Amino acid sequence: MSYQFDPSVIVKFFPLFLKGVWLTVEISFISILVGLVFGIAGAVARTSPVKILRFLGAAYVEIFRNTPLLIQIFIVYFGLPELGLKLSPYASGLTALILYVGAYNVEVIRAGLEAVPRGQKEAAMSLGLNGVQTFLHIILPQTVRISLPALGNNWVALVKNSSLVSVIGMEELTFITYDLNALTFRSFELFGTATVLYLVLIFLLINIQTFVEKRFAYKT
Amino acid sequence: MFDTKVIADNFPYLLSGVKFTVALACLVILIGTFLGVILGLMQVSRSRLARYPANLIVEITRDTPLIMQMFFIFFGLPALGIKLGTFPSAAIAMSLFAAGNAAEIVRGAIDSLPLGQFDAAKSLGMNYVQMMVHIILPQALRRMIPPMMGLFTTLIKDTSLAAIIGAFELTRAAQEIIERTYRSLEIYLVAAALYFLICYPLSYYTRKVEQRRVAGV
Repeated sequence: MSYQFDPSVIVKFFPLFLKGVWLTVEISFISILVGLVFGIAGAVARTSPVKILRFLGAAYVEIFRNTPLLIQIFIVYFGLPELGLKLSPYASGLTALILYVGAYNVEVIRAGLEAVPRGQKEAAMSLGLNGVQTFLHIILPQTVRISLPALGNNWVALVKNSSLVSVIGMEELTFITYDLNALTFRSFELFGTATVLYLVLIFLLINIQTFVEKRFAYKT
Repeated sequence: MFDTKVIADNFPYLLSGVKFTVALACLVILIGTFLGVILGLMQVSRSRLARYPANLIVEITRDTPLIMQMFFIFFGLPALGIKLGTFPSAAIAMSLFAAGNAAEIVRGAIDSLPLGQFDAAKSLGMNYVQMMVHIILPQALRRMIPPMMGLFTTLIKDTSLAAIIGAFELTRAAQEIIERTYRSLEIYLVAAALYFLICYPLSYYTRKVEQRRVAGV
């Protein structure tokens, strides 16, 4: 039996696809923002003069970067209830994604922190800023600027990784596609459409990131 | 309560999963690197006929989720009359994914070389193949090593996705044990530890190589 390509399937289910895209965008956006906070906190811990903080920061990065995200999602969703912590699929998926992208952000932001010239800190101190003020007003803005290109790579990876939360039943783009495929067996139309939608999402993200990067670039 | 007996009882089964994880990862790394070098060379080629298809494959494999590509191969190929098992489907999808990512590393390394290297080779009367083999690739190779090793670590972690289409490897082994014992936390933590034992040495070594390169040794 030969396979007949049937574009009407795409039209018929397009509203459902868009619903999936929306959830993918939503969880990616939240993970990007909260993941940034985790990245900054982790990077500060990793460069701290306090040994135990440095160790904790390093342990966080190494554990989350050297184990599969899929297993992390399973541990949060299926494993934690054994300890009495029961999270919804939405909360579990988001938690795992944030922790995962946060660990990658730590390394990027730490490199950014170390790239800010020492003189900046000394100048801020000599102006009478305290440690917190120096970090927030002087060091952090420059760090984020330096780290932006590498953070962008993490964000692209994050949008792709968000597909994994489909395995615990979050109805984002991959879940919707898988579900429709089980219903209709129109694999080519469905996975083809999802592929194009992911390409569009990533393309948009890369463009936004390039725009932000230019906007915050050093003026010469 | 944390149940250590269930871990001890099922550890051999997890190890049998590790064997398949390692086998799948090795297969994917070998095929992916081989195809990736070809694709990468096509991307820097002067012929559009080589460049365009290579770019298309690289963009699609790099800008869509691996699990999507796996579903495409696993559910799509049977519709064309090609029936494959779960393990071969996972291996094919992951090899293509690896190839696209490896190609980008190869292209990036070649593009990062100073233009003078190309000009110098040509001014010595070398043809394209001689220039590539004797001048460009040996230098590009050194720049490729750290990102390639990073890619290999990612690929080892990503073999866990094969479990989603039902291929037997470490994650699938863990799932099967949990279906029998209902001890998710213990089994998944041990599985995570096993992945860590495989990946950490590789990523540690990658960092050392990178530091040495940055230090200019």
